[in-house]
Amino acid sequence: MITGNKTMTDVELSKKRGEEQLKVEMMNLKHSFSYEETAYHLPISFALTGIAVHDPVSAADVFTRTDNNPIVASECILADKTAIRGKEPSPYTGFIGDTVIRKLGYSLVDGSILGLALVVGTPGSSGTAAAICRELQEKYMLTFLAGTIIPSLSASGVRLGLDYRLIPLGSAPSHGIHFVDIIARVAMMFGGVTPGDTQRLLTYAAERAKAIVIVFEGLTDEEIAFVDGMRVLGFPILSLGDYQSGSWISSSPEDVVRKGMEAKGIRVNVTAIPIPMGCSPAFEGKSIRKEEMYVEFGGGRSTAFELLRMRPANEIKDGQVTVIGPEIDSMKEGSANPLGIVIEVAGKAMKKDYEPVLERRIHNFVNYGEGSWHVAQRDLIWVRLSKEVVAKGVRIEHLGKLLASKFRMDFPQLLDAVAVTLITDPEKVSAARKEAEKIYEERDARIKGMRDNEVNTYYSCTLCQTFAPNHVCVITPERPALCGAISWLDGKIAFEMSPSGANQPVEKGAIINAQNGEFEGVNRFIKKASHGEIDRCSLYSVMEYPMTCCGCFEAIALMLPEVNGIMVVNREFKGVTPSGMSFSTLAGTIGGGAQTPGFAGISKNYILSDRFLQGEGGIQRLVWLPSQLKEELKPRLVSKLNEQGLNDFFDKIADETTATTIEELIVFLERVKHPALAMKPLV
Amino acid sequence: MGLDVHFDWTGSIGEVVLGATKSDGGSRKISYRIGGGTTLPFLDADSPAPSPLIAFEVCDNPQFWSPIVRKYCGDITNNTPEWVHAAEASYGADLIRLYLTSTRQRNFTDVSSVGKTVEEVLSATDLPLIIEGSNEPKIDSDVFQKCGETGQGEKLLLGTAEASRYRSIAAAALAYDHSIIAQSPIDVNLAKQLNILLREIGIQRDHIVIDPYTGSLGYGFEYSYSAMERIRFSALKGDVDLAMPMICSAIDTLTVKEVRESELQIQDEIAVRWEFYTGFAAAVAGAEIICVRHPATIMMLRKAFGSLKSQDRTRMVM
Repeated sequence: MITGNKTMTDVELSKKRGEEQLKVEMMNLKHSFSYEETAYHLPISFALTGIAVHDPVSAADVFTRTDNNPIVASECILADKTAIRGKEPSPYTGFIGDTVIRKLGYSLVDGSILGLALVVGTPGSSGTAAAICRELQEKYMLTFLAGTIIPSLSASGVRLGLDYRLIPLGSAPSHGIHFVDIIARVAMMFGGVTPGDTQRLLTYAAERAKAIVIVFEGLTDEEIAFVDGMRVLGFPILSLGDYQSGSWISSSPEDVVRKGMEAKGIRVNVTAIPIPMGCSPAFEGKSIRKEEMYVEFGGGRSTAFELLRMRPANEIKDGQVTVIGPEIDSMKEGSANPLGIVIEVAGKAMKKDYEPVLERRIHNFVNYGEGSWHVAQRDLIWVRLSKEVVAKGVRIEHLGKLLASKFRMDFPQLLDAVAVTLITDPEKVSAARKEAEKIYEERDARIKGMRDNEVNTYYSCTLCQTFAPNHVCVITPERPALCGAISWLDGKIAFEMSPSGANQPVEKGAIINAQNGEFEGVNRFIKKASHGEIDRCSLYSVMEYPMTCCGCFEAIALMLPEVNGIMVVNREFKGVTPSGMSFSTLAGTIGGGAQTPGFAGISKNYILSDRFLQGEGGIQRLVWLPSQLKEELKPRLVSKLNEQGLNDFFDKIADETTATTIEELIVFLERVKHPALAMKPLV
Repeated sequence: MGLDVHFDWTGSIGEVVLGATKSDGGSRKISYRIGGGTTLPFLDADSPAPSPLIAFEVCDNPQFWSPIVRKYCGDITNNTPEWVHAAEASYGADLIRLYLTSTRQRNFTDVSSVGKTVEEVLSATDLPLIIEGSNEPKIDSDVFQKCGETGQGEKLLLGTAEASRYRSIAAAALAYDHSIIAQSPIDVNLAKQLNILLREIGIQRDHIVIDPYTGSLGYGFEYSYSAMERIRFSALKGDVDLAMPMICSAIDTLTVKEVRESELQIQDEIAVRWEFYTGFAAAVAGAEIICVRHPATIMMLRKAFGSLKSQDRTRMVM
């Protein structure tokens, strides 16, 4: 390797000199020239100006119009040279005809090629060049080569050609201009760019063309001017040589491809998960019974936890799976073992706030495995692996592979790298769990602090419009979607990942009624999203303009005029409620996207929110809950009530053991002196 | 006097061109411009929107095609070009929809045969062509590339793009200037979302035809009808992402129990009636292209559309 006392090339200076030389050469063009098999003349010049360049006069004209652009100059000069000297011999392709470009463009749109790379210059060693090209191939990039890198690759036995996605354009880096003429043609063929529409071409090149440029040593001044000129097109220039430039990204052979793809936002999609068991949402509902299980983790039988954390991109290696401690073959059949699942992710769009939301996906993903099963979350997890798949060769490591792949597959916009560490060593699990618990606490503090009045944007959910055409959920930090499945953060992330999806931001706008939670912006949104059917919506009221109901609500809150209170019944409760109706009868009455004053579909957790029944005077309105739901909520509900100084309120809420009819309910409420009886009349 | 059939609508349905004649660089004798409506179908006698087109569906491997159709059409179902020719010359279809069912066999790899079939069908008919490609993501890329390339210049309508699978079809449409069918499962929002996805990949609005997914009459058609209505209302109210023509093909019609198990001597009649009423209802809901599989349905639909188009509304069909 030549390093040390070699002087650095100053790109700015070289570029200036190069541009001058290109100018001189432009004045020396003497011949007429044209490429065969193209309807786009000199494609770059044609795309930029709409002028068909075939001779020195038109070339000069375009050069002037483009403000002496070095790319235009390079295109004209190479066309002139090719006209004089003829095409270079095989393997060099030279200018590539339109038919091939159409097919290339097809692969780009189709996604079978992820992006384009141009590699120019003279590599220090042929091994380095070969390694870079192999990585580009593996990452579904179509690579164009120009200069001495080509003989260098051939010498080390690398096969070249379209079939290998390595295209040798020409013997000198200046032949790299064909890379740009290809992109110009793709823009005109596929991007709807009309020749001469410079602005559109530049926008297309910058935003749509996923192209990167990798530069080795040994570029001349003219070539530097040409390569640097590509920055205008938004292509990152990655330097592997001694180039000194503020705008070129200096890299090492090991990370040049990753850096380039990252700079251009090109992501590799994972499509198959390399593990010896099936993996599909179809398996999500299965369970692994004790007698089917090979080993288990957590569930009160051993220490186990899971944690997902964001890391800087350079600290994790995508796809890396590490097992710390014994593998499955040294675990006894039927035993409970410690397990720590630690997932580290990185991504430009990733935010710390998303950690818990993504962490919850571990549950789904592990259950996607044909023989892996997961319940609960954080340090309460319980994981099992079945005998069947362990016999097929599934190891702890494969859980990690499954998770790493699924996270990459499902969050391609969000995550650039995912690494998974699985800890099975008992002491290390305990130590790591302590660490994780600190993080859980920090998160709880952060989310707990999130209030409706602290954000200006809520999120909508119209997923259920499939069944309930005019239904619109509005999700706030303190009011999750009525199905209980989507929180405000989920909505926010869903929108960021899929900007035209079912979760849209709702600017809440000016307050119309603070107690009922009615906002101008929300009303505006509802009106539009309900196709004009619903004009007003109060987020915190059951009585006035309540939110519409689809059919997925976890529970129903409804007014009982006889007792001046509100009862809640959840889906699981099969009996008849004091309203005289069962859950299913009630659900049939209020669903389908209608707004029914006196009734609201809610999630179970909403009962614990400070906004619950705010419009009706707060949780003191709550008169009846099924006992099972009451038990489920008890610990959290009691502490919530204590916070509000309602220490004896929990026992004043009736259930089916104390009241099954409205008459019994009246008797019960009067006996316990329920506060609702004395509150402002609901109707 | 009377009802303003345009209500307070300001939008109009975008137009899509199907088929290219010689002067446009293709080889079709006719090309259609569908869409352009400013109200619901058959309301406005002066509407610029033409009657719905009737497409006859054929396939290149009739193994799993309706036995009723195979029996009615006879041996020509085994000869795709002849069948296509009959659809134009004898059955009176407006356009042909070719299902490349040969690609839907297990482990299909012979992509070059796709090109050959498309070529033969293009020479067997002068009508514009709709092509339904593979059903298998693994071969989509090759199959659609081949279809697109073979039909270059003919302004085909390629199907069927779905939210989870649209890139190959979109690529073929972009590369070779064809239009595409965008199908969503009976849902106005998903239809819109798919159109947005297609737009983001570079497909122009005037190259998209919406397939709202059509259930057969008695088997969910009312859901399709309601989704179509909502798509059309949104478009007429000005939502340009939904302002595309619609195509309906109730492909299950000939396999519903009532048709499948009907008595043999009246089976054709039952099949035709079932297809007719489903297709007719879809046309009333706003579809610009109605696809059928029984040849005898074509004329019946045409007659019905004719009577609805004419001023004399008192004359009943059938």
